[in-house]
Amino acid sequence: MTVAEVLTATVRIAASPADVFPYFIDPALMVQWIGEWADLRPEPGGRFALDFSKTPVRGEYVEIEPPRRVVFTWGVAGKDSLPPGSTTVEIVLTADGSDTVVELFHHDLPAGELDSHLKGWTAMLDRLVRLRT
Amino acid sequence: MSAARGGAAAGAPDEGDPADAVLRALADPHRRQILRLVRGGELAAGEIASHFDATQQAVSHHLQVLAKAGLLSERRDGARRLYALDPQALDPVREMLSELWPSALERLKYVVEQDQKKKTTAPKRAGRKP
Repeated sequence: MTVAEVLTATVRIAASPADVFPYFIDPALMVQWIGEWADLRPEPGGRFALDFSKTPVRGEYVEIEPPRRVVFTWGVAGKDSLPPGSTTVEIVLTADGSDTVVELFHHDLPAGELDSHLKGWTAMLDRLVRLRT
Repeated sequence: MSAARGGAAAGAPDEGDPADAVLRALADPHRRQILRLVRGGELAAGEIASHFDATQQAVSHHLQVLAKAGLLSERRDGARRLYALDPQALDPVREMLSELWPSALERLKYVVEQDQKKKTTAPKRAGRKP
């Protein structure tokens, strides 16, 4: 049980990739859909900081190719098991007619590592419970 | 700030939700420690208790919570109660984690499409980049 997991998620948005892309790099736009606070420096190696429900997600931008692809690392500050930068989120925007298909891949999740499950995910899960209610 | 976000403080835990039982079981550091102990294989209740300062009764309570959440399987061997990790049990948790992004992306869709409508009905600024 040491295989890293990839989570995928997708959504279709009635807007062009150029209209959707800023929501992944502009902190004011980012917090409209995820988190309460964001500090983003959208350049390779630039800071990716996002707080949601007291969970300080920290990482850095890896690749920024407007308007079709953005990659940033993702971890939780203070969590040894899911440290900042330990997982990678890749977002791919593909134009389809007048829509954009957003595909999200969350790479390197420590799904096979129980310690990581237990220690690292608990805070995120707390947030998820609230999202579901 | 975000109209799409629900009241964070609201929402009593749903007792019947298996994912919720798992989360409650994982919320306690002793119980997480127990899971780490049995990760390597089946252990008797006494062996587990020997790793803790807590009373056997307290450890026994933790074991029951974990078993009830489906995180541990339990079997009797004579007078001994043996506990093992049930790897299937984390599935509800994993399912929930996999809901983070879909629900976030749904909010993204909502926000972007609302903003698009605003743009077309009341173009306040030159939003288009060259």
